[in-house]
Amino acid sequence: MKDCKKTNRNLVAFLYGELNEFEKKQVEAHLKTCQKCKVELLELKEVYEVADSLNADMEKAIESVDWENLPTRIADGVFDKEPSRERQLSRVGLWPFLFQPRFRLAYAGLLLGIIVGAVVTFLIFRSLPLQVAEDGKIIVPQGFYDMMELEMARRDTIDYLDRSEYLLLDFVQSSPEKSVEFWQSDYAAQKTMDLLSKKKYIDSQLDKIKLAKAKTICDQIELLFFELMQISDELSAEELKKIQRFIQERQLLLKIKLVRKELQKSEV
Amino acid sequence: MHTQNRNQINEINNLVGRVQNGDREAFMVLTQLYQRKVFQLAYSYFRNKEDAMDVVQETFLRFYQKAHMFQRGKNFQNWLLQLAKNICIDYYRKHHKRDNEFRREENIEEVNQTSHESSHHDPSSDLKEIFPRCLAKLSDKQRMIFVMKHYNQLHYSEIAQILNIALGTVKSLHFKAVRNLRTLISPYMGRMG
Repeated sequence: MKDCKKTNRNLVAFLYGELNEFEKKQVEAHLKTCQKCKVELLELKEVYEVADSLNADMEKAIESVDWENLPTRIADGVFDKEPSRERQLSRVGLWPFLFQPRFRLAYAGLLLGIIVGAVVTFLIFRSLPLQVAEDGKIIVPQGFYDMMELEMARRDTIDYLDRSEYLLLDFVQSSPEKSVEFWQSDYAAQKTMDLLSKKKYIDSQLDKIKLAKAKTICDQIELLFFELMQISDELSAEELKKIQRFIQERQLLLKIKLVRKELQKSEV
Repeated sequence: MHTQNRNQINEINNLVGRVQNGDREAFMVLTQLYQRKVFQLAYSYFRNKEDAMDVVQETFLRFYQKAHMFQRGKNFQNWLLQLAKNICIDYYRKHHKRDNEFRREENIEEVNQTSHESSHHDPSSDLKEIFPRCLAKLSDKQRMIFVMKHYNQLHYSEIAQILNIALGTVKSLHFKAVRNLRTLISPYMGRMG
């Protein structure tokens, strides 16, 4: 039984002459005594013979090929007519190449993108209060200017508050001795000057629009900086400490933060 | 004999080296030498002359493009047949995909049933017709191994090299291929008997 299993596995290789001498003799010896394996071999031989029966067709096909000229034809294809991708493109022509069915999906996506883009653009422009007069000039309603001014004021105020906060932080966090040096330095002088001029610029905007809280705090900051600028040379360390405490007690930095947050939320 | 073989191998290697440098003559000599082998493999796989000719052309084109990848000392025929084998499988999937899908849905009994019905007319010609269909029902590997062994008469060791698999695997897959073919055609064979 064990021999049968082993022989069975080798029968195909035996049929195709793939066994070595030893294995071959083993199979032959087993076949002499085992009828079952002999039948199995005969069945496999039938497959072999049926497969062989197709050989005639193949021979016929081989005979029908012009083997003498085939290498030349293939070489022509490879060496002379084998075009590069660019040449293939130019031979096919650009339009037929572009209108190949395989690009259909890409074109559909592109078309959809264009339609969606056009609709979105239309909706955006429709919502803008712009009108074109007969002579081609664009008429902008007053409301639009107001919106723009408010937005610019908002951004400028945020910027002013940011810069003020940094400068005050530098001041509050340094020791009173260093504060004297700080306020006497060119850096602080320059920064304060910048902020004072910036304030003058945003004042006009703050006056026009309703940013009351922002205006109050900006005024306080301006006053503080102005005072510091004016008297920093004569202030003692003790007095500067008082000013630091004043800033902390009034929670000026926290107020700046809150107002800035409020402004950031209220984007026009 | 051994020296002659070595000379032949050197000759082939030199020709391949020349093809790597774009030598048309060398390319044509190699095509002349191996075109039938490639055709035999492709024809046995497709049982169709046109498909086989396409594969021959594509194989030599691929050979020219990949000649630089051939390593000296390797068996050129096996390397070329490896290209041909890959092209056969790609070609089959590309051009006979629908037949293939149809065949996948068709089970062994259906093949046998069809052969049974058609056998009422002309049994001997049906056998020839049914066999390629049974062959096509084998897995790619079993089918390729059967074709290489039966029609190209390659040794297991050569098939193992071409397919890049172990010798034992080739033997086992060949065994399975023949056994599956027998299962597929056995009802028909029984009636013939």
